[in-house]
Amino acid sequence: MTRSVKIASVAAFLAIVFIAVPVLISVSGRFDLYYTLTSVALLSIASAGVWLTFYIGRINIGQGAYALMGGYVSAILVVTHGWSFWPTLPAAGLSCAAASVLIGLPILRLRGVYFAMVTLVLTEVARLLALALPITNGAKGMVSIPLPGALSIFGLTIIPDFATLHNARLAFYLLAVALMVVCFAVVYRLVHSRVGKLCQSLQQNEELASSIGVNIAYLRVIAYAVSSFFGGVAGAIFAAISQSIYPSSFTVIDSVNFMLNCFLGGLGYVFGPMLGTLVLYFGWDLLFQTGRFQLLIYSTLMIVLMLFLPNGLLSLAATTRKKG
Amino acid sequence: MADLLEVSALTKRFGGLVAVNNISFSVREKEILSVIGPNGAGKSTLFKLIASFLRPTSGEVRLKGERISDQAPHIAARKGVVRTFQETTIFKNMSVRENVIIAHHLRSRASLLGFFLGTSAAKADEAAFGTSADEILVLLGLSSLAGETARNLPHGHLRALGIAIGLATNPSILLLDEPFAGMNHDETMRMVAMIRRLRELGLTILLVEHDMPAVMKISDRIVVLNFGQKIAEGTPAEIQNNDKVIEAYLGSEDEAIGL
Amino acid sequence: MEQVIANGFYLGAQYALIALGLTLIFALMNVLNFAHGQMYVLGGFISYTVYGQLGLPFVVALLASGVTLAVIGALMEKFLFRTVIKRSLREESTMLLAAATAFFFDAVILLIFGEKQRGVPKIVKGVFNEGGIIMPYDRMVVGVLALVFIAAFVLYMQYSRVGRAMRALAQDRVAAQLMGVQVDRYSMIGFAMGAMLAGIVGGLLVTITGVNSGIGGPISIKAFMMVMIGGAGVVGGAIAGGFILGMMESVGLTVLREYGDVTYLVIFAALMVFLSIRPNGLMGKPWG
Repeated sequence: MTRSVKIASVAAFLAIVFIAVPVLISVSGRFDLYYTLTSVALLSIASAGVWLTFYIGRINIGQGAYALMGGYVSAILVVTHGWSFWPTLPAAGLSCAAASVLIGLPILRLRGVYFAMVTLVLTEVARLLALALPITNGAKGMVSIPLPGALSIFGLTIIPDFATLHNARLAFYLLAVALMVVCFAVVYRLVHSRVGKLCQSLQQNEELASSIGVNIAYLRVIAYAVSSFFGGVAGAIFAAISQSIYPSSFTVIDSVNFMLNCFLGGLGYVFGPMLGTLVLYFGWDLLFQTGRFQLLIYSTLMIVLMLFLPNGLLSLAATTRKKG
Repeated sequence: MADLLEVSALTKRFGGLVAVNNISFSVREKEILSVIGPNGAGKSTLFKLIASFLRPTSGEVRLKGERISDQAPHIAARKGVVRTFQETTIFKNMSVRENVIIAHHLRSRASLLGFFLGTSAAKADEAAFGTSADEILVLLGLSSLAGETARNLPHGHLRALGIAIGLATNPSILLLDEPFAGMNHDETMRMVAMIRRLRELGLTILLVEHDMPAVMKISDRIVVLNFGQKIAEGTPAEIQNNDKVIEAYLGSEDEAIGL
Repeated sequence: MEQVIANGFYLGAQYALIALGLTLIFALMNVLNFAHGQMYVLGGFISYTVYGQLGLPFVVALLASGVTLAVIGALMEKFLFRTVIKRSLREESTMLLAAATAFFFDAVILLIFGEKQRGVPKIVKGVFNEGGIIMPYDRMVVGVLALVFIAAFVLYMQYSRVGRAMRALAQDRVAAQLMGVQVDRYSMIGFAMGAMLAGIVGGLLVTITGVNSGIGGPISIKAFMMVMIGGAGVVGGAIAGGFILGMMESVGLTVLREYGDVTYLVIFAALMVFLSIRPNGLMGKPWG
């Protein structure tokens, strides 16, 4: 792709998510779609994190743990300590990143299925911790979290108080999509810079990477921390939207789904997790009408998809481009 | 000539097995030194110890007087001890040129964050790496394959790529793990010429090898191992006439030692 | 204390049998079978139907569970995993397939058997009570049967022609192929056997704990843990992992009872510490 094509497609994408979608929704009156699309945006942020760990050659089924942790950090800071929502957002991301450094240092030495299984277990650990710790309020969870207040810098109100808004759904949508754009821009830049190549070198051969002087342990932890940061931020906004967080808000199923979003979109493509999340989430929602056959049809489609497109949806675009 | 790399009293035990037993020798600057020995003599373990891929049970390796044992492999590489791999270990999904560019890691002046943000230092680095990579590819005769995905390279070129990756790190001493393994006569001769050219460029080379004729041809000095111990050290001529060496190789065909 | 150990043994025997199936599939195909817990549930429901509903002898029910799952496993390997492994660029793709089949089984089980907890009549009545150990006879029968199956499996892997071929395959796929082992055929047999083991445990345990459609996922997680403890792809490791987890659970539930639901938290934490010291488990091969 040439530079101008790239810029045009980014502009088109931004126009769609920030202008076309809100306009279409207000015309059609389907305001419920805001919630769906906000969820897709947030889930794709968390999935982008998982994708990044795939990029260094690790199968991460533990993103649910960080999303849960992010949600709780934000909720506790807002409810118990009276913080405004906005500073809790970076706080949630950073505490997840810090936790992931501590956890990552030992477990990132594991490879293949071992890492996958340990991270899966990590999601369970997070849930059990949320149940057992005194500050998380056990199974009852944290409820009635106030909506995000106004954010102002030097007296200038940048973001209005969500509680006073006529349409808080739109506000959440814009917040989630803006963050999604930023996160994917970060991943895109990361992958297309030399750092991305270094990550790829880890994925392809860690021994060789260390023999050419790459500090593999450091790079792995950095990538994992960025990944967990994304998970924490997504979890924090989720808690703010639903105004509640429970130990079961993010479980093993969610962790598996984050991973599936990446697979479905394609592990070789930065925007794979975004597309994967969109398709999986909407696919699941559309199938709601099939009632009790929902899961059956959903899983059958997934199996069929794996059989015919085992390298993800975006591999289809890549092969047609090659042929054409 | 001064000693560049010193191996002193190096020992490695795996459980009850002593794979490398109290081995000492040194490599001089701009020298080609080969370590040979029958199968299971401990060559491979010694190689990994020197490259810091294994930690010694006792003893140490020093480069220019500085201890490099017990460090992570990337630290050893940073200090100038860089290894190639016996198997065809490469970044298989990158192009040949990308393989060499990425291997310039140690020469980068910009930080990870700098590369992420695309600072001017990072851009300068990238440009320099590109130029240097192209030079290395020319040197190793890989220019025409620069754009090829590494996994599609024919066998002989893979080994050259392995050496190109090693060179890109700008090492003080390059450790070559069986550079002639699986090569026919012509390929071996080409590799011998290539290694000599590297030395002419000022590189010190330590290689571990089976192929006797090639070792005899290329080495300034040879260290012979047997059952984890050093049994001889000297010039090719001295080694060829050493009784202990002949005894160690007894049972293998004479021509294998190049007699 | 004796009671705790007896319970641990009983649990361990079940767990080891589950882990054996999972580790066999992993060793042969490098596939982490997410659907293993669901296979267990399916086996449970089949035994429930044959023994509990149709009133046929328990042996027939167990046989039905084993055979059905073996057939399902064989079909999964032949038509799903083999294809995806061939077409995919990264071998992790099989994890998505495995997860999808897990969802699929969950859906099928829910549709056919509903979401109620199901139980069957006891196979043996009465309770053993001697030397400080209290244990219902049916548990003892099930525990002993599990041990018999484990022994049979180990002997089969060790001495039969098929078992030897599978071990060769697990050790080095390429070398096995060069030696003339029919890779496709034995992968299929291995997958079928792994699934069969899951089905058999499901059939055994339905007589004690009953079965419901929601326990597939948690069972899979437990199975993963056992395999991690022992080391993935190693028969001895799976058995050791099963017994260790069974024992830890039994001890934990007794010792930590007063602290509430923290047994699993402690086990998980211990496991993560253990794995950071021994990344390949007790006896696993490196590079997982």
